[in-house]
Amino acid sequence: MRPRRASARGARAVALIAIGLVLLASAPPRADAAIATQQAVEEALTCQCGCGLTVHSCNHLQCNSATPLKREIAEQIASGQTEEQILEYFEHKYGEKILSAPGTSGFNLTAWVVPYLGIGLGGLLIGVVLARWRRGSTPVPSGEHSAPSHPPAPPGTADNQDLRARLERELEEYDRRS
Amino acid sequence: MTEIGRLAIVFGWMVALWGIIASLAGAWRRDRSLIASGTHAAYAFSALTAIAVAALLDALLTRDFNVEYVAAYSSTTLPTWYTIAALWGGMKGSLLWWTFILAVCNSIVQFQNREKNRDLMPYVTAVMLSVGAFFLALLVFVTDPFERLPFTPVEGSDLNPLLQNYWMTIHPPSLYIGYVTTTVPFAFAIAALASGKLGDVWIRTTRRWALFSWFFLTLGNLFGAAWAYVVLGWGGYWAWDPVENAAFMPWLTATAFLHSVMIQEKKGMLKVWNMVLVILTFSLTIFGTFLTRSGVISSVHSFTQSGLGPFFMGFLLVILVASLALLIYRLPLLRSRNELESIFSREAAFLLNNLVLVGIAFTVFWGTVFPVISEWVRSVKITVGPPFFNRVNAPLAVALVFLMGVGPVIAWRRATLASLWRTSFGPALAAVTCGAVVFAGGARNYYAVVAFSIATFALTVMASEFWRGTRARQAMMHEGAWTALSRLIGKNRRRYGGYVIHVGVAMVFIGVVASSVFKVEAQKTVKIGESVEIGAYRLRYDGIRVDDGPHVLRTIAQVSVWKADGDKLSPIASVTPEKRFYKKPRQPTTEVSIWSTLGGDLYVVLGSFDPQSQLATFQAYINPLVCWMWIGGVVMALGTVICMWPTLAERTSPVEARVPVGTRVAE
Repeated sequence: MRPRRASARGARAVALIAIGLVLLASAPPRADAAIATQQAVEEALTCQCGCGLTVHSCNHLQCNSATPLKREIAEQIASGQTEEQILEYFEHKYGEKILSAPGTSGFNLTAWVVPYLGIGLGGLLIGVVLARWRRGSTPVPSGEHSAPSHPPAPPGTADNQDLRARLERELEEYDRRS
Repeated sequence: MTEIGRLAIVFGWMVALWGIIASLAGAWRRDRSLIASGTHAAYAFSALTAIAVAALLDALLTRDFNVEYVAAYSSTTLPTWYTIAALWGGMKGSLLWWTFILAVCNSIVQFQNREKNRDLMPYVTAVMLSVGAFFLALLVFVTDPFERLPFTPVEGSDLNPLLQNYWMTIHPPSLYIGYVTTTVPFAFAIAALASGKLGDVWIRTTRRWALFSWFFLTLGNLFGAAWAYVVLGWGGYWAWDPVENAAFMPWLTATAFLHSVMIQEKKGMLKVWNMVLVILTFSLTIFGTFLTRSGVISSVHSFTQSGLGPFFMGFLLVILVASLALLIYRLPLLRSRNELESIFSREAAFLLNNLVLVGIAFTVFWGTVFPVISEWVRSVKITVGPPFFNRVNAPLAVALVFLMGVGPVIAWRRATLASLWRTSFGPALAAVTCGAVVFAGGARNYYAVVAFSIATFALTVMASEFWRGTRARQAMMHEGAWTALSRLIGKNRRRYGGYVIHVGVAMVFIGVVASSVFKVEAQKTVKIGESVEIGAYRLRYDGIRVDDGPHVLRTIAQVSVWKADGDKLSPIASVTPEKRFYKKPRQPTTEVSIWSTLGGDLYVVLGSFDPQSQLATFQAYINPLVCWMWIGGVVMALGTVICMWPTLAERTSPVEARVPVGTRVAE
């Protein structure tokens, strides 16, 4: 395999790995259209008492915000609403700030997209940088060891090619034995 | 005494200004006496800041309530230990405390470099004194910690009861030390840019400072999580609060720096990127300080909505503009011969590691500031809470732990598939086995199964590195196992200390995943003699005891814990959750009672108590493997100490490059 083709494929591999990291994260949450659970809805709403926690996690018992919200959630569930419908109800009643994560429409979509975009672009940049470094490098024999202890002869000389071929053979033999 | 403190901060600010001027002028004019004067100013700055801290501490301990800060954050009944902690409990005191730590660091840096790095030190002195001058300027002109009231209250308002906790006395100092010590690598980086001495000297000089800073950022974050866990009573330890995020972001970029700097040391690559990471890390510490004092983003940690926000934002902009301008100016000198034999190499793995770390930092930053951006753009308030951060960061965390396992098994320069297969087969097998066991055990959360498998992979890699290294030493040196192991670590402190840190990180990761995904909760109102069932536990409410002291009224529930063992229930522990009412600030708090084992915590909260009916409401949580987080933190700390510990050669060899002050040294 020619070094340049190998470096291009390798750079693509790195870029794909980076994009894979991005895709590994699932899409922004979509509320389950099936039966809603009390805890799931409580986790999706933010307590308004100033604790900064979700309704479920608020540590103030008899909290002026979390306690009535929990009752309201239970009533909504009892009326047969789905989780998505319940969250829409609370958003309509109290405003977007009640939701503990941004929605997935309009400007709020940027909250979810920008991190993935940033990481993806970073991965592509790394792929480009690695490909450039790979093109700028001097090839050495494959193997897990570092460069030979003596300084390499200038590239292109017959001695250098012989030494490199010998080193490659010996390293392959070492790999085979171990 | 407070008058002395006030004078100390005024003179300290003036001395800092002189030190900046003298150092820069001395560097430009190559004037040894001016440079020396700058050095002396740094020491004087430290002394004056220490006097100011002593003065404020004296006012607190003597309960001088005529001082506004003392009246606001202490009382006659506040225990001495918490009275001392009040030094950093309020905004003004915390700014003075920050400045004091910076001054101490500056003095240590001056002493360490008294006979070396002569080209860099004037700029280092100038940068560190500039930061100190900024903080003192706030205290001199904007918010005076020694401000006196027009009257003297007979009693103070007391320290916030939530802060009257052991963890709270060590969390802020740890975090502040971590924040402040990022100034040292930053100062040396700026000095390298300003002086044009862009070799590896600044990296080598500040490597331990970077590790030291990372050590305290790690401890500070974990102590904060521990405090939240034992005090706040919601069963968790991390809520992605903006100020928690502000402490986490510099830790992430500092971690990236500690990895990528290895590439610069080995191959002379990534010089520009390492500069960027150092600047970014320090900038994020200032950004975190801005968040807690501006009121821009609401947080339970916010000191107040003070007027300091614009000053910190201005200072942050100056830092970024000046640093980046210097960096761009010196770009031609920072170019290195970048070579890479193979994409499948440790260099590439480190780059991916940096991508993930900086990616998480960016995600956390974006989620923290998005509510502000949304309000600017749409005039609509929104919340970005745990579901967002968990959703985006969870897979990135898995990727990071995976890379942590890959790093040691992939060679520098070029790795072959054969060598990768040989070194990673065992860990991969262990990972698959773990996943199968977890799945067979009933876990159906795919993220948890993958996460545990990846963590097992990383832990097995670390274990095999220690095993192979020890076995090799035993074979070569004919040493016993423990001797071989200890000498293996002793002779390769950076490498094996790093592996120990990785073990700690994997343990923290396992604790976080288990306690997040498999948490069990229960809440019930019971009368005396009745029980609450949770998992395999039964909690029996045995009674209530009231303890009415001068400082606090405590309502303590007596709860006996029984655990199912087959068909039998056996008593295993007693827990005593409390409700407290602090009399001075008239504020209730909840004191959690935790019964902790390696397998998990039983976490019990007394939610409410009705004295007439004696009915009590209990909240109970089972947090599986949560103590692995704390143990993992200890392991991380141990690994860092191993990395930082000087070798025998470093302890006994003469100081390198002993050169008279002011002499130019060619690099």
